[in-house]
Amino acid sequence: MTVRTYVIRRIILIIPTFFMITILIFVLIHLAPGDPAMAIIGRHNVPQDVLKEMRARLGLDQPIPVQYLLWVSRLLQGDLGKSYVSQRPVIVMITERIPRTLELMLAAELISITIAVILGVIAAVKHYGLADAVSSVGALIGYSIPTFWIALVALLVFSVSLGWLPLSGTHTSTDFPSPFHALLDHLSYLVLPAGVLILGWTAYLFRMVRSSMLEVLGQDYITTARAKGLRERVVIYKHALRNALLPVVTYLGYSIGFLLSGAAVIEYIFTWPGLGNFLVTIAQIRDYPTMMGTGAIIAIMVLVANLCADIAYAIVDPRIRYD
Amino acid sequence: MANRSRAKSEEKTKVYKPSRATRLFTVWRKLKKSKLAVAGFGIVVFMLIVAIFAPLVAPYAIGWTGRSRRPPSMEHILGTDASGRDMLSLIMYGARVSLYVGIAAVTLEVLIGITIGMTSGYFGGVIDEILMRITDMILTLPELPLLIVAVTFFEVRSVHIIVLVMGFLGWPYIARYVRSEFLSLKEATYVEAARSMGASSRRIILRHILPNILSLVIVLATMDIPWYIFYEATLTFLGFGDPSSPSWGVLLEKGYLYLTSAWWMITFPGLALFFTSLGFNLAGDGLRDALDVTERGR
Repeated sequence: MTVRTYVIRRIILIIPTFFMITILIFVLIHLAPGDPAMAIIGRHNVPQDVLKEMRARLGLDQPIPVQYLLWVSRLLQGDLGKSYVSQRPVIVMITERIPRTLELMLAAELISITIAVILGVIAAVKHYGLADAVSSVGALIGYSIPTFWIALVALLVFSVSLGWLPLSGTHTSTDFPSPFHALLDHLSYLVLPAGVLILGWTAYLFRMVRSSMLEVLGQDYITTARAKGLRERVVIYKHALRNALLPVVTYLGYSIGFLLSGAAVIEYIFTWPGLGNFLVTIAQIRDYPTMMGTGAIIAIMVLVANLCADIAYAIVDPRIRYD
Repeated sequence: MANRSRAKSEEKTKVYKPSRATRLFTVWRKLKKSKLAVAGFGIVVFMLIVAIFAPLVAPYAIGWTGRSRRPPSMEHILGTDASGRDMLSLIMYGARVSLYVGIAAVTLEVLIGITIGMTSGYFGGVIDEILMRITDMILTLPELPLLIVAVTFFEVRSVHIIVLVMGFLGWPYIARYVRSEFLSLKEATYVEAARSMGASSRRIILRHILPNILSLVIVLATMDIPWYIFYEATLTFLGFGDPSSPSWGVLLEKGYLYLTSAWWMITFPGLALFFTSLGFNLAGDGLRDALDVTERGR
């Protein structure tokens, strides 16, 4: 199989997965006890005819499979319905928030890759040395720490006690002398959420880079490269690191799921107006159509990210077998 | 005694089969070599003891209240909460709920994961294809958003429902590992030997394959426990929890309200979470080395 057929096959495989995910989200919502119509009205002693009218207006009186097909066909056209609560189109509310989440995740991804690769290489090269021990213990702490708790502690220390960084939101005001000032101001809001979000992921990635690098460094061609008299720097960065990073690439695809998971609670704590915060707030008020839409969009984002990672891996590593 | 008689009966064939106790001892001896692993087990055992004997070891009884939001002092080493309850006692009682959540959810996840993984590996073909598609699908979904969506649909706020939801959504990862382990063991020489001696598939699966998969599952399960404790705490913190079961998440949710005025209310429950998680992770790492497990999964 060539790379091209692999990519095409991989893209086609996304279609059944998409339908399964939408069915899962749909079934979760409809199997659940509680009546969405009742939830909107918010009272329990409502006249039956009012409830009935509400159900008809929301399409809840149709058979479940019909409701699903209606929902999916509208979803594919980019119509996710209206929020029960704010009456605004769900797709508009989601698209307003996607850039914020992407921004946070991009920042987190860049920082964690940089830290994980640098520390991973150092730890592998100086195996069992001091740097290895320190960073390995750091990684252990990194993934043992509850994300939302360390977010609260960071907020307490850096914003409340020391006053170095802003408490929450994305910017101080909209009026700045230059775009540069506006950017600096915005970055100061990004530091804490991004800094907390990376902890677990960096620890995980660091372990990956380290073990992958250790494996590569033990291989014969590295000995050959050294025997040829190449400088150690060239051996490590040109010969070893390039190959060691290959397996790490596949894990970058998983990172979007991992980071989105963390983002849900971190965005909430720092009132960062992204998708995660949005999902939490609408779930708290049980705004079902909005939840279904947001859930579907998050799932699609993850699917696309995984697809990209798989394709990137196929292109980067010619030795991959596509089966 | 039992060991000796078994050794005697097997003398003819000259096969040395270590008893279960001996095997456990071997694992323990390997485990003991790693100081970190021993420390991890120490933390886990300590937390379990505190949880089980909370009514005996907690300095103040459940209903006791004093002055509210007092900082740590001699009477209250970790301070008091907003209703004047002793934080240390609350954390000790919280260990019960949090550890229950972690262990129960993992047990559920492991039972479902092993069943689906083995079914998939054993039958192969269409069944395997369908089960693995479902597994992959759930695996791609980010866990916390999925849990939030799933938990919202239950009217009742209950810690048991959270456990059920987590267990029913957590198995795919175990199933993946079990399946690939099953597939590789199916081809192993010793399984082939058993088959050639006429052992039934049932016997091969239960006596030869399952025990070998178990060591992998034990490692995965140990390291999953802290995740479920985290998830329950996070869900509770976000307002989807069960206020009537005072887990560490409930304490943190309340502490968040007094973030600026009572730092001890969020600091200590969080530290309890952190150390428990550290303990399970260290123990899991140690077990992985001691049981000589290689993760062949994805």
